[in-house]
Amino acid sequence: MDLTFPLAKAGVISEALNLWLAIPIGFIFGFALFHAGFTDSRRIAWAFYFKDVGVPVVMFSAIVTGMLGLWGLSLIGVLDISEVYMLPTFLLPMAVGGLLFGVGMVLGGYCPGTAAAAVATGKIDGMIFIVGFLVGSLVFGDLFPVWGDFYNSDYMGAFRLDQWLGVDLGLAVLIVVIIAVAGTLAMRFVQNKFWPTGEVDPQRESVVRLQGKLIGVALLIAMIFAFFPTESFIDDVEETPWYIIPRADAVAIP
Amino acid sequence: MKFGTRWPPVPAGILIGVSMLLAWLVAGRGVGASGGMTRFVAWVQHGLFPVATEESAYFGRYFADGAHPLYDYVVFLLVGLLIGAFVAAWRAGEFRFEVLRGPRSGVAFRLSLAMAGGVLSGFAARLARGCTSGQGLVGGAELSVGAWVFLLCIFAGGWMVAWFVRKQWI
Repeated sequence: MDLTFPLAKAGVISEALNLWLAIPIGFIFGFALFHAGFTDSRRIAWAFYFKDVGVPVVMFSAIVTGMLGLWGLSLIGVLDISEVYMLPTFLLPMAVGGLLFGVGMVLGGYCPGTAAAAVATGKIDGMIFIVGFLVGSLVFGDLFPVWGDFYNSDYMGAFRLDQWLGVDLGLAVLIVVIIAVAGTLAMRFVQNKFWPTGEVDPQRESVVRLQGKLIGVALLIAMIFAFFPTESFIDDVEETPWYIIPRADAVAIP
Repeated sequence: MKFGTRWPPVPAGILIGVSMLLAWLVAGRGVGASGGMTRFVAWVQHGLFPVATEESAYFGRYFADGAHPLYDYVVFLLVGLLIGAFVAAWRAGEFRFEVLRGPRSGVAFRLSLAMAGGVLSGFAARLARGCTSGQGLVGGAELSVGAWVFLLCIFAGGWMVAWFVRKQWI
């Protein structure tokens, strides 16, 4: 198959151009982070108190958009998904990493991407967070032999939700969209219950209508996906054998 | 309709999703923020201790075959992210130096917790092979089981500790 996307893998653009194109892509990412309100540590931290559930809603929207786009473009044959790098699962290290990361987020008020964006908008707490983040990364890397074995443990390859649930990929996509919508509504409900706001946003009605339409479109696309078998999305079911450090090297560490 | 500075969450999330999609379409890989920072700190350490860093079990691969650690996709992404956030804030007239914190929190208290949270997240992001964007959002869209476990654990970890640091935020 000679599909044109991903451009860099199909040889349409050079490696060097691919690198330079990362700057406009990062630009869009940073631009969106600011307008999502993610350069404000309070808004991020408030998610953990249900005072402002915008953070998980933005995350759900980003995941759903990316997911529908990625698998949809593969379905219609535009994107060669076997050339897309799929993140592998190391279950236990990721669970422990997630717990620690969550603690770090509620203490620090940022995650790395939002902290970098906050630095670019002049937030001093973001700068201090980044200094800490760099120190934490350095500690991990310099003392890697201490936790290297754990880091490489519980490897499951590129293990997807549909494989775990034993359903077709399209149905797994639909389930994720439904969870995202249900989660959004539930969290909004909790926020309005515990943190009722007196002021009424004059734009509220049009915002609700717009977001309702966007969510409707996402649900519709996901429902169409659910009619297709897994093979129409991905025919390369081999697991990803590599990530960051080749696994064979992991055991070489004394 | 005009969104103003703070967009409603769904359109804002969609734009983040679009940036993820572009990275897949152009480069065949996801976006990410923490990888660029790890490479940056490895580069700084290499300036001080070149031999030890090149022999490091974790950082060594950044220097393999004479490679420059900053000549990498994730670093270029990070540069773009910084410019994008700066331009957005500048246009909105919201670029200013300040320490964001809750009404009951002092500056020193906030900054020490920011430091502690940073160290912890830095360590955790390396352990989980990515942060909220590179592992959580990208992996979540790729339907990776590990990424969804990571996302759930972030919120579990945050809720466990939220009550103890409420003075910082609310």
